[in-house]
Amino acid sequence: MIDRLLETARGKVDGADALWRREERTAVGFEAGRLKAAGVSEEAGLNLRVLARGKMGVAGTTAAQPDAAELISRARSSAELGETVDLAFPNAAAANLPPVPTFFDRTANASLDDLIRMGRLLVERLSRPDCQVNVAVEREVQDTAVGNMAGARGEYRATAIAVTADVTRIAGDDVLMVFDQYVGADLPSDAELEMLVRSVETRLTAALKIVTPPEGALPVVFTPAGLAAVVLPLEQALSGKTVLQGSSPLAGKVGEMLFDQRLSILDDPLTPGRPVSRPVDDECVPSRRNALVEHGTVGRFVYDLETAARAKTESTGNGRRGIFGKPHIGYTNILFQMTDGGRHAGTVPAPADLGGGLIDDIDDGLIVDDLIGVGQGNVISGAFSHPVGLAYRVQRGEVTGRVKDAAVAGNAYDLLKKIGGFGNDGRWLGARWSPSMLLEGVSVARR
Amino acid sequence: MKDRLAAALKQSRADYTEIRVERTWSSAVAFRGRRLETATVSEDQGGFVRVLNKGYGWGITSFTSLAELPQMVTRANELSRAVKLDEPIRLAEAAAQMADAVLDLDGDVRGIALSEKKKLLDRYNSAMLAVSDKIVDTQASYRDEVSEVWYVNSEGAVVYQLRPEVVLSGTAIGRRNGTIEKGLESIGLRKGWNSVQNFESQFGVVARRAVDLLDAPRVRGGAYPVILDNELAGVFIHEAFGHLSEADFVYENPQAREMMTLGRRFGKPVLNVGDNGAASGLRGTLPYDDEGTPTQDTPLIKQGILVGRLHSRETAATLGERPTGNARAISFRHPPIVRMTNTYISPGKKGVGFNELISDIKLGVYACGAFGGQTMLENFSFTAGWGYMIRDGKVAELVKDVVLAGNLFQTLDRIDHIAGDFTWNQMGGGCGKGGQFPLPVTEGAPHVRIEEALIGGDV
Repeated sequence: MIDRLLETARGKVDGADALWRREERTAVGFEAGRLKAAGVSEEAGLNLRVLARGKMGVAGTTAAQPDAAELISRARSSAELGETVDLAFPNAAAANLPPVPTFFDRTANASLDDLIRMGRLLVERLSRPDCQVNVAVEREVQDTAVGNMAGARGEYRATAIAVTADVTRIAGDDVLMVFDQYVGADLPSDAELEMLVRSVETRLTAALKIVTPPEGALPVVFTPAGLAAVVLPLEQALSGKTVLQGSSPLAGKVGEMLFDQRLSILDDPLTPGRPVSRPVDDECVPSRRNALVEHGTVGRFVYDLETAARAKTESTGNGRRGIFGKPHIGYTNILFQMTDGGRHAGTVPAPADLGGGLIDDIDDGLIVDDLIGVGQGNVISGAFSHPVGLAYRVQRGEVTGRVKDAAVAGNAYDLLKKIGGFGNDGRWLGARWSPSMLLEGVSVARR
Repeated sequence: MKDRLAAALKQSRADYTEIRVERTWSSAVAFRGRRLETATVSEDQGGFVRVLNKGYGWGITSFTSLAELPQMVTRANELSRAVKLDEPIRLAEAAAQMADAVLDLDGDVRGIALSEKKKLLDRYNSAMLAVSDKIVDTQASYRDEVSEVWYVNSEGAVVYQLRPEVVLSGTAIGRRNGTIEKGLESIGLRKGWNSVQNFESQFGVVARRAVDLLDAPRVRGGAYPVILDNELAGVFIHEAFGHLSEADFVYENPQAREMMTLGRRFGKPVLNVGDNGAASGLRGTLPYDDEGTPTQDTPLIKQGILVGRLHSRETAATLGERPTGNARAISFRHPPIVRMTNTYISPGKKGVGFNELISDIKLGVYACGAFGGQTMLENFSFTAGWGYMIRDGKVAELVKDVVLAGNLFQTLDRIDHIAGDFTWNQMGGGCGKGGQFPLPVTEGAPHVRIEEALIGGDV
């Protein structure tokens, strides 16, 4: 498909690259403990980018039999309105792709009954008379092919599976929602499903008692899930795009130590067994690990081909594209690590208590596991302010109960200058790996 | 197309079968700073099949290759038969609709050159950039579409809908050294080219606000009397109450049903709330939902009392109520689930204005505009774009980072004044639920006063 398209484009445009992707998803859904639906979805699409008279244009199609000439003509019309950009498409010599396992037969071959069995096991383990348990199991098999007119080609197959548990407990007017998810390229082992069950149970049990929230500038343990609000500003600020646009507070700070010197942040498309791992990015750039922050020091920003060309640097292999838009910058697996702290990405994380072993010295504070409205403020400024979705009070080193109707606020860049501790509960959540982190002086407001 | 769908239906061996096919033509233009990001025209198309058998669950297929339709009907039936159920899924009775619903295209976007769309957006983007040299970055986007949707089911429904949509949005980033602020404008309508002209001044206003916010202090955290402007009041009712009125949250959960018993008081008598998918020209408007049910104006709260909820055919059957036309899917890639359309707080007394709401507040917050909102049912957030302190009955200094923490039972009940100045928001963006984002919705509200609400921040 790609070869034919690029061959047709030759002579009509100065340069081109393309991505073809086919996805097949199989999903089963349990609602209130009952298996209620099974579904399959199939989708294939082709995305083409061209350079014509130095200008860039894109076009995409989900047509079953794409008309190459029509697609090229649409991409050229797009380029007529486009900006001039000095794109350097990687050549064939650069396409020496690193090995990374992305396809697991067990996942691809799992039958509908296998998926149902996994879901049923979770439902049975999690069911309680006072709770509604919803479980979804979704398996995806993806084929990707990328190529460009400079002769580079990349092709791989990938599998992914997500097992999601949603537990809702309503008692009177109290609504408690606990969520967790296994995401991997390989099927979860029984031990991994058991971890998921225990993770939900631990958080549910500790939440049954409701206590008054504290108030003031307090020590707060952000669990891997709770950390989202704190790490989101960094993810935005480390994107080469925001750096180019002048909106990243980290622009011009490469080499400066701005964070706790134990903190390192890595973008790693080569982690085995992760669904977004890949040997090549969506623009034919071979995958590589990128150290974004090393020992608290800003290391590098991530780029795709276009932003790299504009910034006069090279792509970091972070090109991502859908069927219809133009390629853009996207992270792969992003890891927030304590530099001196053991290995990441263990297959089965150590079973952990709430707070990852960080609460012993807290006299009065919080464990924050979920915040509401993350991503909706002025994110890149670092300022965040959110009501708690799921949070616990810690008093004299013990979890005393769940707090409601409280809001936490702070500035991510300031809080990460000094990290009180890294938890022993590092884990994957989607494509992000991190342990809990203890941050000091987080504002907690209550009614 | 209708013949093709009829043939596929006929061949189905399932007890109930529905097929939805969509073809969407769209174009998009985006600027980032002074540079054009993209200008593209696209066509997306695909199909969705859902079947049900007695004693079995839903079997669902979605696909981009329409040539596969007959096989996908067969496959959906096989999937259904893999899902054994003791208690059957029932669908509420619905008269099978046969209709062609062609909405007003209001200047068919398919007939406008992409270069014209670029020019229009360039003007709006330039209006933001022209405000100040402190505007370091902008994001401006224009997107339009005309979507054709065919829906048929084995009960005899045959519905064709032609739906236009156009969305404009602008974000202005102001910066001084380490301080970065943003202003956001967005406009979304189920209309066409004619409806997105002459917005220069609105885009200028948001850029000016991003600059002004550079000098504004963060709001101090704590509980305050709060006045919400029309836009934020709309987002508030969507998050605070709209999601909980979606019956799929309660229909399988006895405790939730008890909590949401019709007749329960949720607010003071001033509070009236509803959802109206049949309102004209709004982004959440659609003549028929994605189960072929006609949309309607559904009262949810009347004089503070819970009187209704939003349904699909399945949730309506379980609760013994009537479908309301709220089963929606963002595209053929997804099954319909219970969603809002155009959700509103009805206006209070005519002539009651902002001044009546603010005059007796000694210290409070006037929260304006919306960056977004999210709910966990009982607790929810709604994030203002900016705010002002209220001091001694008057609007005082500008403040930033105004995020409200709401509680369904406390916050709704503390709405004590509602102005008569109702407007529909007509924002772009959209609502997310169950992995389906962004669903076009609209909210509408007048100014609303909450006696006491929690705002996050330093205390």
